[in-house]
Amino acid sequence: MAEFKGKPGSAGQRPTGGDKAVATQKKQYFRRKKVCRFCVEKIDDINYKDVKTLHSFVAERGKIVPRRISGVCAPHQRRLTDAIKKARNIALLPFAAQL
Amino acid sequence: MTRIYEELFIVKPDAPDEEVDQYVEQLRGQLTSLGATVDKVDKWGKRKLAYKVDKYREGTYVLFQFTAGAEIVKELERRLRVSDLVLKFLTVRIDQTLKRLEKRKKARDKRAARRAVNAPAAAAPGAPAGPAAPAEASVGMPGMPKES
Repeated sequence: MAEFKGKPGSAGQRPTGGDKAVATQKKQYFRRKKVCRFCVEKIDDINYKDVKTLHSFVAERGKIVPRRISGVCAPHQRRLTDAIKKARNIALLPFAAQL
Repeated sequence: MTRIYEELFIVKPDAPDEEVDQYVEQLRGQLTSLGATVDKVDKWGKRKLAYKVDKYREGTYVLFQFTAGAEIVKELERRLRVSDLVLKFLTVRIDQTLKRLEKRKKARDKRAARRAVNAPAAAAPGAPAGPAAPAEASVGMPGMPKES
């Protein structure tokens, strides 16, 4: 999810779309600040039956996407893993998906 | 000690609709006769399973919500396990979650209400935002001549 736009030559006025820019001397990284989707959308209930939501936090292979990639905050990630594991048990989500 | 539970189970896809309905009704009757109150029965219909269960690729999902004690849940699970129709089931205790959600919702509503009260009040006498801006400006103004 992190976008690295690191050409040294094109450091000037590039529309980044990110609100946080970490600039070093040679390379310039523009990293979009990640926010927790559950906090932003004010979703209180992370339910195991809500497959649509859960699906976006499961990787292609069926793994749970880590927090450092999805940007979910710690309390919500805890509930999310719980929900995903419940959903797996009742065959709503795969334990391991075939490619 | 009664608690609120949710029971989600998968019925074999090749069972005819009437049979499933009959089984669900039967379960509901059994639950009530055991002393539980069934709050909700929800048939989701046929869905694809995420993985194969007993060689089936799809199944009919049925959701029960009921209020009961622990022994009744045990009995219900035993019955589901024995039944030929049921592929898989999951029991989740939800009273604590419901309580937490209600609390969160209440807090959120309260905050929204307070904001709704504050917003017109701030507009009329210029409560927090009003004086702050002029004060800053007046601090800035004397500074300017000194520098120049």
